[in-house]
Amino acid sequence: MNKRFVLPVLLLVLPCMAAGEERDATDIVRDAVDHWRGLSSYTEMTMVIHRPDWERSMTMRAWTKGQDQSLVRVVEPKKDRGNGTLTDDDSMWTFSPKVNRVIKIPSSMMGQSWMGSDFSNKDVARADDIIDQYDHTILGRESIDGIVVYEIESVPHEDAAVVWGKEVLKIRDDHVVVEHAFYDQDGELVKKLVSLDIGEMGGRTIAKRQRMGKIDKPEEWTEIGVIEVEYEIELKDSLFTLSNLRNPRD
Amino acid sequence: MRMLPVLTRLAWRYLWRNHRRTIIMVSAISVGVWSMIFMTALSRGMVDQVIEDGVSALPGHVQVHNPKFLDDPSVVNRIPIGDAELSRAFSSTDFKAWASRVRVPAVIASEYESRGVTLLGIDPVAEREFGYLSYDDVEGRFLEDADDNGIVIGRKLADKLETRVGKRVVLMSQDPDNEIADRGFRIVGLFDAEVPAFEEGNVFIGKRTAQKMLHIGDTTTEIVFLGDNYRDIEPTYDKVLASIDGSLDVSRWSEVATYLGSMLTVMDGFVLIFMVVIFLALSFGLVNTLVMAVFERVREIGLMLALGMKPSNILGQIIIESMLLLLVGLVIGNLLAVATIHPLRGGIDISVVAEGMEMMGAASVLYPRLYVSDMILANVIVLFLGFLASLSPAWRASRYEPVEAITKVG
Repeated sequence: MNKRFVLPVLLLVLPCMAAGEERDATDIVRDAVDHWRGLSSYTEMTMVIHRPDWERSMTMRAWTKGQDQSLVRVVEPKKDRGNGTLTDDDSMWTFSPKVNRVIKIPSSMMGQSWMGSDFSNKDVARADDIIDQYDHTILGRESIDGIVVYEIESVPHEDAAVVWGKEVLKIRDDHVVVEHAFYDQDGELVKKLVSLDIGEMGGRTIAKRQRMGKIDKPEEWTEIGVIEVEYEIELKDSLFTLSNLRNPRD
Repeated sequence: MRMLPVLTRLAWRYLWRNHRRTIIMVSAISVGVWSMIFMTALSRGMVDQVIEDGVSALPGHVQVHNPKFLDDPSVVNRIPIGDAELSRAFSSTDFKAWASRVRVPAVIASEYESRGVTLLGIDPVAEREFGYLSYDDVEGRFLEDADDNGIVIGRKLADKLETRVGKRVVLMSQDPDNEIADRGFRIVGLFDAEVPAFEEGNVFIGKRTAQKMLHIGDTTTEIVFLGDNYRDIEPTYDKVLASIDGSLDVSRWSEVATYLGSMLTVMDGFVLIFMVVIFLALSFGLVNTLVMAVFERVREIGLMLALGMKPSNILGQIIIESMLLLLVGLVIGNLLAVATIHPLRGGIDISVVAEGMEMMGAASVLYPRLYVSDMILANVIVLFLGFLASLSPAWRASRYEPVEAITKVG
């Protein structure tokens, strides 16, 4: 090759290579989020909140549509029946039949626990922040039982509204998240979401049981188990409205 | 009046005839005056500090807000005038210092904790004059300009959040549409404050960074002005009132912080009452001493009257006696007070009761403040009330019938 061409070609190729590497990691994360949520979905699940001296379990139904809209409603136990959470874009509302009020979750409460679990309101409302507010790099890939698992390190952007120093995701080749670990800014592991049971459901391979727990309090965790799931179903826009949150029209 | 030197000499000699009684009375007066001045200086010091800390933590002696802001401090109730227009409006005036800032409630979160705080989006250059923070004493660095991307928080807050300089925190607040406005910030500095509540409750970010985060263009929530002294802000107040849009709310610091404002007024009243109460206790001793002195000398007074001294001179002599007594006491008392307050100017460490003082918003070092006006007030009160108290024994002495008085067996 003519010497004069080498530099321009290198300049062209190098960024592409770098970008290609980065796109890969971001793509893997995006695919995983899309896979878990689908374009639209309906899920029936149980949530078990475990503490050293008590445990409680709830059954919930959840609908999601696109990236922004979701509705979660408690079915069991009876005393919590009708409690619901609606998210649209970055906003979040809750409804409790006991007080018969729709409450918009203010920013001051976004960091607080969602329905008493180990998930924060933010975890629920802003799940797809992971895609565009972080820089993703592939740390490595390994093969477990014949399935390739990528280990991806996600570092939040400087001005991202994320407190974590980094998050490390283990994502299988078939887009199932095996593990999602949250590290503080000293690199100390703080909490971890682990998929305990991965299997076929609703035509996809998904994590059937996931457990979120703090590392320094091993006796406290929240487990979400999927009972039933359907993907790519028709959902009316009216589902994701405040009036529907208040008065369910199932 | 011609008699005055003679009477004074007579009075002075009488005083020292029974020197033990006089010394006891003088020391009682001295201690009384000393305690008036000393205790006043202590409480002045305490209250002044609370007020000054409070005023500097507000900060700004004269403040401009949207009328609704003080009831509901959110960005919805911000000042509708942009910074560009403000600079134009105030460029021709000569305020000692002024600044516009964003001040809204927010939540700060680290990996482990979250806390409610007051977010202050400031232009550090314009606010240097306000002096609520010494920029150089900040661990790390203070904000450099209004576009600074860092955040400066108090050390106590950092401890609570388990974070430190160099780490990131998330600040959450609400934008004018009540949508969540949040952003990550790297901590660039930690500040210390005398008042723990200030250290825990305030976080500083660049003004323009705050405006971007809250989506409010170049508007702010308050404009603050500095007067020469927090006790003397009327000229600044009038100037601000004249140069700003009438729909905005211009307030003195004493109106923004009514608690502090009324504290100042209450303190002035308290000092007066305190002094009068101490004097009332003293006056019993004084009257008693004078009555004794008169009783003791009934025959003498009778003799002087018989020799032709006018009753008014007797009256004058007793009053002069009491005044001399008080004056000696006052001089010693004042000297004593100055002598005890002066070495304590560096502050009295009261960290033993720091927790209780914190609740009042006071720091754990107490600096006594000796006001000349308080000192004068104490002296005037003692002399004036002492004069009134000595009238009755003096009157009685001047009314003696000479014959009866001379023949009185006593």
